[in-house]
Amino acid sequence: MKEVCKRLSLLVLAAVLVLFTACSSGSDSTNDGGSGESGKGGVSGTLEIQYFVGGYGDAWWKEVISDFKKKYPDVTIKEDAGPNINEEMRTRWISGNPPDVVYIDGAGSSETQMVEDKQLMDITDWVKTVQVDGKPLMDTFIVSPSDYDGKMYSLPLVFDTWGTWYNKALFKEKGYKVPTDFNSWMSSMKEIKKKEGVTPFVTTGKYPYYFLRGVLYPAFGAAGGDKLLSDVISGKKGAWSSKPVVGVMQKVKDMQEAGLIDPGFAALNHTQSQMNFILGKNAYIPVGFWLPNEMAKDAPKDFDYGFIPSPMNDPGKPMVVVPDLRPLAIAKEAKNPEAAKAFVSFVFQKKYAAKFAELTGAMMNMKDVDLSNNDKVPGYLKDANTMINDPKKVAIHNKPYPMSADLEKPISDALVSLMLGKIDVNEFTKRAEAAAEKYRNSN
Amino acid sequence: MNLRNEQKRPLKNIGTAINIGFNLDGMQQPLHSLRIDFYTIFNKKKGDWMVQSKGRKYLFLLFCLLPTFLLFVVFTVYPMINGLYMSFFEWSGASGNKTFIGWDNYKELFSDPIIPKTIWHDYFLVVTKVIGIMILSLFFAVALTQLKIKEAPFYRIVFFFPNIMSVVVIGILWTFIYNPDLGLINSGLNKIGLGRLAKPWLGDTFWALPSLVLPSVWAGIGLFMLMLIGGILSVPKSLYEAADIDGASSWKQFWQITVPLVWPQIKTSILYIVITTLNGSFIIVQVMTEGGPNNATQVMGSYLYQKAFKEFNFGYGATIGVMILILSLVTVLLLQVFLKREKVDY
Repeated sequence: MKEVCKRLSLLVLAAVLVLFTACSSGSDSTNDGGSGESGKGGVSGTLEIQYFVGGYGDAWWKEVISDFKKKYPDVTIKEDAGPNINEEMRTRWISGNPPDVVYIDGAGSSETQMVEDKQLMDITDWVKTVQVDGKPLMDTFIVSPSDYDGKMYSLPLVFDTWGTWYNKALFKEKGYKVPTDFNSWMSSMKEIKKKEGVTPFVTTGKYPYYFLRGVLYPAFGAAGGDKLLSDVISGKKGAWSSKPVVGVMQKVKDMQEAGLIDPGFAALNHTQSQMNFILGKNAYIPVGFWLPNEMAKDAPKDFDYGFIPSPMNDPGKPMVVVPDLRPLAIAKEAKNPEAAKAFVSFVFQKKYAAKFAELTGAMMNMKDVDLSNNDKVPGYLKDANTMINDPKKVAIHNKPYPMSADLEKPISDALVSLMLGKIDVNEFTKRAEAAAEKYRNSN
Repeated sequence: MNLRNEQKRPLKNIGTAINIGFNLDGMQQPLHSLRIDFYTIFNKKKGDWMVQSKGRKYLFLLFCLLPTFLLFVVFTVYPMINGLYMSFFEWSGASGNKTFIGWDNYKELFSDPIIPKTIWHDYFLVVTKVIGIMILSLFFAVALTQLKIKEAPFYRIVFFFPNIMSVVVIGILWTFIYNPDLGLINSGLNKIGLGRLAKPWLGDTFWALPSLVLPSVWAGIGLFMLMLIGGILSVPKSLYEAADIDGASSWKQFWQITVPLVWPQIKTSILYIVITTLNGSFIIVQVMTEGGPNNATQVMGSYLYQKAFKEFNFGYGATIGVMILILSLVTVLLLQVFLKREKVDY
């Protein structure tokens, strides 16, 4: 009996010790592994890349990475990829052991937050020296990198944009006109409401940022250009109660009062609202380029997607797109910065931009990529590409950086109330100003 | 079985000891008797436990308690204290940088206009769920035990069914049922000519919260029904027979016999519902409404999630967590007092 007890207590003790050592060493044990010595002549060592796999899939990444390996055979690449990768890698970022390169996209990731947390490398000077396809990299972007007080921390890789979708086939069959400004949009919606017997406009109220980014941003861009977008996103004093914003919100109120917004929108998540659109229960929906990809399994094969920039502009002015960019960045604490830089500059090539459109149905953030002759690229993307390159029809306005969730959430809440008809424009701007003030004070 | 007398007698063989030591009704036994039981199990040699040294006794106790205690410390105490600690920091939850900000998160908590809403929403769910689940599960339990229904086992399975489904699945299922255009409820109302009552349930600032009660109650009935059935079955049949002979109505029997005798189970059920609602109501909210529209269904847990993981204010999220902990403790303590009843023995 005594022996047994002794042995057992020893065992327990050992178990405790193991547990504690495991706990205490967890954070730094991996620190020394995996680092790569960057050779003077070439790039070598281990390169770790974190990328989120969502609506765009991972086919493009696989291809680029395998090409990169061919060019740099000395580099071993470690991929951290998947739909939950942002959550899975979080502890690594917290413990100061991040991957070298990160593609910032998907739930649980925020470029603004990462910059605020000083997790990304300042690449301002390096980017200016990079040449791609014989041109300076900075000249090839459709949209320039986010600007944080004159510094650059990321390069916009994916050019996505929000806009309003309609059923092209239905419009052709019934002879509905595709709107080009807010007035023609209103009359089109009223006409559809009358003839089709449906509430024409739907969006997801569960994720109100779809409306915010898909309709309000272009509207702000049309009403006040980059300046207004920047003021609104940074929560500048008086921006949310300024005249152009009030004008935009009045348009939203007009839509609500005319009964053009689906009364059930607040209950719908994005999939449900998109399903409604596919089923013809609604005629217009603001979503990004990924809509056809996302609904591929649910929509009829021949569903003809039509895409326009959300027509919130006044007559006679161009429609506006506000690009939504998914950036690529290098971690501040990257262990192999040389290989990381080599990879980032390798990715920005025209051939991969064309591949991206083929494989994902969205665009890479590079100018002058000819898609019109590429029959693997879907029709709506070609249309959009032509539209975006035609400054008379469509103007591109940029936000300085994505809106912080601290500001986006309260504004979204007020927005839902406005769209449900619970509050008026005045009350909305009051709530938005209060949210902006709080946001300013917290920074 | 008469436990009390049994304990006074010295225990002679392992059989009885195990029997008592692991009796599910053990809550009523004083703790010291349990200890003696374990002794008899391991030291069955006659008289051995009388001369057992103190040291060995404590070593044995240590052996029993230490692993559990360690696990408890690592998985419960440490996270709790760490959460408390985090609530004094400004931290995004995604990086190594933390700034100590003292009581600022708590000041923010008291000035946040959404916090009172979330508390009210949580207690609304607590009250409606306790009432709904207790009435229905008590009703089903009585019906399935007392009314001599032939298909009772079948119904028992049917009512228990929601319990084997994940709450997430239940939430998604009910989101479909509530869907404003394609959902069962609205199309049902339209079919029977009550179309004017149809509304976007989860998208209506007034109806969204009450709409969450139904799935929560539906999902909860089964477990508590089983608990109450267990309680009712342990009530001696003779009591009901005697009451029958005395001419007591079924209603009277329910109030005078069933309720007092299964009160421990009722009390446990109520406490359990309260605790799980305060801590876990966020799952159904998260799945069905994400706290919307305009925070109309935001509960403490979902707000914590929103703040900590979506707005990257981990410190503030931890502060909300502390609030949930305190409120839950206070509520449970108050309930202990209110639900106290003299133990009834007939």
